[in-house]
Amino acid sequence: MELSEHIRTANVEDVTLRRPFHPALRGTLCVTSHHLLFSDRKDEDSWQLLILLRNIDATEKRAVGSSGTITIKCKDLLVLQLEIPGMEECLNIASSIEALSALESVTEMYPFFYRPSHLTLHGPWGLSSTEKYYKQTERLWDRWRVSTVNSDYSVCPSYPHAVIVPREVDDEKLVQSARFRQGGRFPVLSYCHHRNGMVIMRSSQPLTGANRKRCKEDELLLQAVIDGSLLGYIIDLRSTQQAQQARMTGGGFESKSCYSHWKRIHRHHERGKVLQESLIKLVEACSDPSHSVDRWLSKLENSKWLSHVHSALSTAGLVVECVERDGHSVLVHGSEGTDSTLLVSSLAQLILDPASRTLTGFLGLLERDWIQAGHPFQQRCAHSAYSHARLKQECPSFLLLLDCVWQVWRQFPLALEFSEALLLRLAQEVYASNYGTFLCNNEQERCAAGVKENTHCLFQSLLSPDIEEQYLNPLYEPTDLAIWPSVHPQSLQLWTGLFLRWTEYAQNMEEAREEVWSIVKEHRERAGPDRTNNTPSTHCDTLTPFENLMDELTIL
Amino acid sequence: MASAPIAPYNSSPLGISSSQNASRESLKMEPLADVAVLPGEERVIDKEIIYICPFNSAVKGKVSITNYRLYFKNTDSETPVTLNVPLGVISRVEKMGGASSRGENSYGLEITCKDMRNLRFALKQEGHSRRDIFEILFKYAFPLSHGMQLFAFLSQEKYEENGWNVYEPLEEYRRQGLPNSEWRVTFINKNYELCDTYPTILVVPYKATDEDLRRVATFRSRCRIPVLSWFHKENHAVITRCSQPLVGMSGKRNKDDERYLDIIRDANGTIKLTIYDARPNVNAVANKATGGGYEGDDAYQNAELVFLDIHNIHVMRESLKKLKDIVYPNVEESHWLSSLESTHWLEHIKLVLSGAIQVADKVSSGNSVVVHCSDGWDRTAQLTSLSMLMLDSYYRTLGGFQVLLEKEWIGFGHKFASRIGHGDKNHADQDRSPIFLQFIDCVWQMTKQFPTAFEFNERLLVVILDHLYSCRFGTFLYNCESARESNNVRVKTVSLWSLINSDTSLYINPFYTPESSRVLYPVASMRHLELWVTYYIRWNPRIQHQQQSPVEQRYKELLALRDQYLKKLEELQLSDSTPSSTHLTNSSAPNAATPNQHITHLQTPF
Repeated sequence: MELSEHIRTANVEDVTLRRPFHPALRGTLCVTSHHLLFSDRKDEDSWQLLILLRNIDATEKRAVGSSGTITIKCKDLLVLQLEIPGMEECLNIASSIEALSALESVTEMYPFFYRPSHLTLHGPWGLSSTEKYYKQTERLWDRWRVSTVNSDYSVCPSYPHAVIVPREVDDEKLVQSARFRQGGRFPVLSYCHHRNGMVIMRSSQPLTGANRKRCKEDELLLQAVIDGSLLGYIIDLRSTQQAQQARMTGGGFESKSCYSHWKRIHRHHERGKVLQESLIKLVEACSDPSHSVDRWLSKLENSKWLSHVHSALSTAGLVVECVERDGHSVLVHGSEGTDSTLLVSSLAQLILDPASRTLTGFLGLLERDWIQAGHPFQQRCAHSAYSHARLKQECPSFLLLLDCVWQVWRQFPLALEFSEALLLRLAQEVYASNYGTFLCNNEQERCAAGVKENTHCLFQSLLSPDIEEQYLNPLYEPTDLAIWPSVHPQSLQLWTGLFLRWTEYAQNMEEAREEVWSIVKEHRERAGPDRTNNTPSTHCDTLTPFENLMDELTIL
Repeated sequence: MASAPIAPYNSSPLGISSSQNASRESLKMEPLADVAVLPGEERVIDKEIIYICPFNSAVKGKVSITNYRLYFKNTDSETPVTLNVPLGVISRVEKMGGASSRGENSYGLEITCKDMRNLRFALKQEGHSRRDIFEILFKYAFPLSHGMQLFAFLSQEKYEENGWNVYEPLEEYRRQGLPNSEWRVTFINKNYELCDTYPTILVVPYKATDEDLRRVATFRSRCRIPVLSWFHKENHAVITRCSQPLVGMSGKRNKDDERYLDIIRDANGTIKLTIYDARPNVNAVANKATGGGYEGDDAYQNAELVFLDIHNIHVMRESLKKLKDIVYPNVEESHWLSSLESTHWLEHIKLVLSGAIQVADKVSSGNSVVVHCSDGWDRTAQLTSLSMLMLDSYYRTLGGFQVLLEKEWIGFGHKFASRIGHGDKNHADQDRSPIFLQFIDCVWQMTKQFPTAFEFNERLLVVILDHLYSCRFGTFLYNCESARESNNVRVKTVSLWSLINSDTSLYINPFYTPESSRVLYPVASMRHLELWVTYYIRWNPRIQHQQQSPVEQRYKELLALRDQYLKKLEELQLSDSTPSSTHLTNSSAPNAATPNQHITHLQTPF
């Protein structure tokens, strides 16, 4: 069926649009295959609102006399109302929205049709990959190698074609180890610490089952990871009890007797449905229209969202402690190894590694440790907090990551090169995007669908010089130190920038942000008038511009 | 170790100020262990003692008590543990354990402070070892209860600036555009004969005679008649403040009072005067029983009465006490948010802020308002000063904020002496209440929501609160102007603003962008209020290491660089103007507006 067949009414005049904290507007509403467009049709100074249909999480229809009202709830948490004259038009529009916002086929989605004039399809796609990371990281070359055992995705369907493994373990052993791990996700390297060469590995759970199966190759692989050192830590993201129970369904954990040099620590993390429901509760509390908001703090607490933030950050802190303080390597896994595992290992890197705190470094980290590592974005982000659809595999793991990063940024306002605006943009793009970056569930699917060939890359576009600036932190000052966030409840805050973004408060903060920027910009432009066209990395010299400009002045 | 470690526990509320003094006045001071003693400060006793630190367990050391402070320094390890507590902060000193108490460190002293902490000291259990220190502490912490003077009167501190000059009432009224054809300055209270808790200079309606004022005074609690606090230059609406009318059970009326309020309304020709009664409705009704009450509809025909539901001083005191319970010494972590909610502290903040927003909104839309509570010196001061802060950007400057406090709080008789209990041993006094703290918290909430609108920073607010209790300066002493005058405070003590204004750079917000005409409306929803962690939980070492704002530090560096640069530029322009100036004016033009301004792109545009 053609997409256009879903559209029975394409245009309605005299529609009234209501948005929070804005006066109502009258104008024309259009539905296209991928967008909802509202235009107030004034000759000059016309105002338009364009919403990607994919961004719509839920719609509610209500009849008022002969006209109808559609309430549109977006995945980026905006709620809009459209008053449409004519019941039939209203129903048509609503059903188009419902059908077109929930397209199943990847190639029908908007990124495959997005063709802006300033971008070409043949440009570079992506920022980082296993090979690139390996090439850049000299400290890996001695003991680690890139394996392409998974080049046809047959060993592990959700892994990328290349992974980093210990040099002394051959591909045959990897295949055996993959058979022993859920979904074939055998232990691979995620990060090697620049201070002491210790590594963070990630995998899925071992399939020991009820009768305590073993796998020699898997044991050898982990032995090779710690290479003669006497200890490594396994951070199991389930409680001891859950890990025990997993054995009943074929899963399990690394027992002391088989992995004698590894010490297992259990940390319980909620996942899947529980997280999604937590998000739903939180958003419900945040969008409660009654302004009195009695018991707001209790509602916030009951949503448990901040306690998930707390667990993620504190387990990441634990990993960092093992690597940085104790000087041991770590293996992180939960069950599937596609959600909390990625969350914890990437947060630990952000805390440890200054390179992952730059804009490029952070996007590269997301690319390697989330997109290529096979976080099933399409399943997890099919719906957001408003949807009435029955939950399938939705889970806001990635949103939780962004929230945790925001908490780190709030506590260390100088340490990250990127700004809150980047996190907000990502929170939006992950649910609905013009770009192909977050499409599909893993690299194999992306290859099959031709994502690289037929869509544009979000990360490349974020780094283009004209828009990059809005995602930079004006105060960035790189530090080599680990940045340990405080995880005390009074140190963790609700991310108002995201969860209350459609309020007047957000506008105040936005204005303040602009003022801060202009102070810095003024300074910077005065400091280096010749550098306006320069590449982004000029930040690092904000501390030393005085000397530079002295030179310039002497030349003048 | 390559990480940001938790800072060693160090407790020095006035660390900033005393270290400042140390550099400036080091010649005049003799060292007290390693803090500089203030001029006029005298040591009373030194003693070996054990400080039972709630975060570090017991610490052995030496305590020194002077007529101004309690200073403790550990002697048992390399990592320093110090306490530097002005005695004014102490609300209660108790003996802990007896001569026969068992257990380690069970015999000693327990000190309750007004600034969200308690201190415990242990001594050897022999020969009444604590008797002398207890008695000295008791005497010097509560000098007024022992016929002695507050330290502010003993201090010999000298500053370049004289803080007593920051507020000249006539000058401030002139700044507001007063007097004019509608409002006049009256000296009727010059000897505090009209109202002993009001300042001498008052601004009243031009049409009201001094005789009218005297008659109105008979009908207002403690003679606190409605007088002008702030005048809106464009629409001529005013904020006036007063106490409750003496309506009583019988529903008394007073023609003069009614006429007087109508004159206020009529001054800028609006139809209705809005009276904001800060209290909850039921409390206003209950006040009738003690002779008070509120303006009835029948009597005040051209006025509307709005109750703002803010609770009284007792409710606020209990709320803060609950807050202290959940943050000191240990933070109640398991149910942090619901525990915080059960203190109701943020809810009270919300009510005060939203009351002030209503006042500001009414005035900026051209209607005059009258604000009162019962006596007009607690909630009334909160509401008038906060709404003035929202309406008038002058009060958001460092100097303007001092004027605001001098005028609305100190001048109009907020009972600092009773609310704080300076030098008074009666810790359970029902008159004590954290009303001023609550106001400063509201100001902090506003600075959070408008990070570029205030010239001063968080540190100023903390220093103000520290010296609210310290008794080192005369600024917050006594209940009203007449009492300050009869005790010669301006002559015998130093003003807090002398300290502040002698080194303003410490208190400047580097983000400040002056904007003259904007009214700031903070969002007073619970969702947007935060607990002021860096004040209420600052004694907790885990919180402390985040206290200094690196952002501010960084900005100051940037701004300093900019200033340096501008100076250099000027010099160069003087010598050779043409090339450099044109070159730079071009580049410093504000950045072009962002693209797609007209399209609200919830998604990237086409």
